[in-house]
Amino acid sequence: MIAQNAVEPMQVDAPPEDNDNNEEESYVVENPSLDLEVYANSYVGLAKLYRLIYIADHCPSLRLEALKMAISYVMSTYNVNLYQILHQKLSEATTALSVPDVAASSTSQDIPTMDNMWMETRSKKAALKLEKLDNDLKNYKSNSIKESIRRGHDDLGDHYLDCGDLSNALKCYSRARDYCTSGKHIVNMCLNVIKVSVHLENWSHVLSYVSKAEGTPDFSDSQSKDANQVILTKLKCAAGLAELATKKYKSAAKHFLQANLDHCDFPELLSPNNVAMYGGLCALATFDRHELQKNVIFSSSFKLFLELEPQLRDIIFKFYESKYASCLKLLDEIKDNILLDMYLAPHVNTLYTQIRNRALIQYFSPYLSADMHKMALAFNRTVAALEDELMQLILDGQIQARIDSHNKILFAKDVDQRSTTFEKSLLMGKEYQRRTRMLILRAAVLKNKIHVKGIPVA
Amino acid sequence: MGLNRRGAEQLKKHTDQGQMTRVYKSPWDEVPLRGAGTSGSKGSNFFSKSPDEMASALEQFVNTVRTLSSHGNFRELCEYLNKSSEILLKNTQHLDNVLETLDTQQHSLGILAVLCAKFSAPVSSNSQDNRFSQTQDFILGCNGEQIRFAPDTFAELCHSLTSYLVEQRQPLKGIVLLQKAISKLRLYDSQLTSIHSDLCQLCLLAKCFKPALEIIDIDITGVCQEISHNPNGPHFDAKYFLLYYYYGGMIYLAVHNLDRALYFFEVAITTPSHAVSHIMLESYKKYILVSLLLHGKIQAVPKYASQVVTRFIKPLSQPYHDLANAFVSNNTAELNTVLNKHSEAFTRDHNLGLVKQVSSVLYKKNIQRLTKTFLTLSLSDVASRVGLSSPAEAERHILHMIENKQIFATINQKDGMVVFRDEPDKYSGPEVLKGLEEQLTLCMELDKQILAMDEEIQVNPQYVKKSTGLQDEEQPSKSTYAM
Repeated sequence: MIAQNAVEPMQVDAPPEDNDNNEEESYVVENPSLDLEVYANSYVGLAKLYRLIYIADHCPSLRLEALKMAISYVMSTYNVNLYQILHQKLSEATTALSVPDVAASSTSQDIPTMDNMWMETRSKKAALKLEKLDNDLKNYKSNSIKESIRRGHDDLGDHYLDCGDLSNALKCYSRARDYCTSGKHIVNMCLNVIKVSVHLENWSHVLSYVSKAEGTPDFSDSQSKDANQVILTKLKCAAGLAELATKKYKSAAKHFLQANLDHCDFPELLSPNNVAMYGGLCALATFDRHELQKNVIFSSSFKLFLELEPQLRDIIFKFYESKYASCLKLLDEIKDNILLDMYLAPHVNTLYTQIRNRALIQYFSPYLSADMHKMALAFNRTVAALEDELMQLILDGQIQARIDSHNKILFAKDVDQRSTTFEKSLLMGKEYQRRTRMLILRAAVLKNKIHVKGIPVA
Repeated sequence: MGLNRRGAEQLKKHTDQGQMTRVYKSPWDEVPLRGAGTSGSKGSNFFSKSPDEMASALEQFVNTVRTLSSHGNFRELCEYLNKSSEILLKNTQHLDNVLETLDTQQHSLGILAVLCAKFSAPVSSNSQDNRFSQTQDFILGCNGEQIRFAPDTFAELCHSLTSYLVEQRQPLKGIVLLQKAISKLRLYDSQLTSIHSDLCQLCLLAKCFKPALEIIDIDITGVCQEISHNPNGPHFDAKYFLLYYYYGGMIYLAVHNLDRALYFFEVAITTPSHAVSHIMLESYKKYILVSLLLHGKIQAVPKYASQVVTRFIKPLSQPYHDLANAFVSNNTAELNTVLNKHSEAFTRDHNLGLVKQVSSVLYKKNIQRLTKTFLTLSLSDVASRVGLSSPAEAERHILHMIENKQIFATINQKDGMVVFRDEPDKYSGPEVLKGLEEQLTLCMELDKQILAMDEEIQVNPQYVKKSTGLQDEEQPSKSTYAM
């Protein structure tokens, strides 16, 4: 039993996959209407820190505030490394800020300074705690009490997470797997692993553990309904996040839509506002009108989420009411804020284009011909830009129409079924002949064993 | 052993005292061999043997040929001829005399051996070269039944003749001759012989495609197994198979039958293979270009193509893949960059003409795309969207395409607008029905052919044995007929 523990129960430190948003271009958000205080308070732990750092990196006007907040928070953890990094960023930010306008430097009232003493004591404390936890674990192991060993591993994992050592945290959490005695423990272990994997951006890991947790036998019945709901919502959120990160927007939307507001308590990863925003945007970009109506607008559970983000709610309703101009305008208004969201930002442009295209297709669907001037007005576009957009959609086969560029009218295309049938069948006949000829010839080739051999070296 | 096949390729200029140039039309028995021997021996240096010995060897050769031919022992004769090639090669200067003693119709095999020896022997610089006229007489007059006993030697002669004519820069002279040769060697019209590739080569060089088209329009259903003395059973050299489809594809390209050209190149690149053949490589390059011309993108290579294609040939044709990528992006500027970047490679492969066709087709393709999206469009818009420099140029392109019925449009010069129309209803009238019926017949014929092939396999004793034996042994053995 003990000897076994030395062996890694499973492969945990697989390298994080390449999510091609590594090469995301650095952009700058100028005018966010974000209340940083409220925003930061909806998260705990690393999620809070990472989100604050993301904002600091992309929004100069909130940079100082975000960094200060992050530093004061990091001091409550054992993450000395991050503390150093944050201070480095802060000093960069202050110098960059003070050089261009000296007058502004007076505003930098209470910039915290790097506290070396704190760092030292903190590191020592961390090491001490680690040693204690390690010893405890060894004790439990020698006593072979399964439940204690599991807890010991979990505590160790928690501590590593607190120190910011993600890969070790993941190892500890997943080692606990061998000591799980009930379904509840397994689900707990899965949640821990998911939490760390999200921070490591190892999305396939997240998804596999979500399905593992969902597949745990007595997960659905044994526990009280309430706790069950909380866990279910957590799992759905994590799965949605992973799907979003891997650009599977439709399944991401479906996952988020299954979350439950009353039980949405997952500050380690997401706030309920996030769920609303992620789910809402993904649904808007990928659902058709009917799905949107059924799953989003008339969904009693998701309605509550939407109340948290009134702007998004308006956007979705405007879209559904075919008021595309105001819908798109509102979308543009919230763009700055969602660009500051570390998980959504890389997908904003794709999602926006998809929403736009969907709107264009829906706008034209009931018409036989449409005036492009009016259409351009409805979409806040110049006619020329609209023409380009439409051309792309037509070429992609998303709109069956043709453009009268002279009169700026879009005409639905009527397909002559008879000629297309003729065309298709003749083409099929030609294809059949070609293939059959090739078949006969190939039979002859193989029968005669014709093949190119290497020339033996003389 | 066989004849020295490589000999023909290394034609070294070498002095040789063969003097007899006239071909006697008199019956063979009127020309005494003894006399021929003595006339040849005058002042000539035999390698090692005395004139008498030499003469007697040849005399014996002639006698054997005569006896075996008259008895109809052609198989035996073939074996004898294969063994005696050395004797013939050593006595090149007397071969013309030997020819005189043999009759084209009755001793076709003998003459074939002698002519082959003549082609593989070193050529004399001062004597008049009578090989072409002799081969011509032979091919026109030989006995088809006899030469089918030695298809490899006959094909060898044709290859030698082809390379001779290529060297002499007189490809046109051999076309009719090779057509005749093919008709003599093959058993049925759709049988492939290695002479097919020679004919295609000559036609390409002579820029005279009609005779070749007659041959390549026939779909091949069988292969003449020429090399019968192979330890692994009779077979057909893949080189000539590849050459036939490569040259054939080029001929179809020359007459702008892109569909067939693509088919031929596809056959070439899907030939089973364990090594990279240069013919396949060149075919692959042309396959890419033709498929861009015809379909606007690279047609996927069939799955049954050997791995060599994906593993070695694709990386070797990078410039062409670059070109295809640029083409698919519909961006003329990008295409031109690729074209300039790789122009050296394209020129080296002699594909520059095709590449230029590809780049001009891109304009057409882009204009055709416009017809799908627009009903009307101003000429200046056309120019900017397609990447042409001026509305006038756009007008010229569109006019050209309208004339060729590639698009259906009218140009309104007053407003500078183009009105794109739908294709007029072309599926009406009796011609359409007739065409449809023709296509149906073709399909049904092919279907019948497949059924016949299937039936043939079903009743093949080997197949029956294997398919029933499988159940007993529980050991799946590889079927020869697996596709």
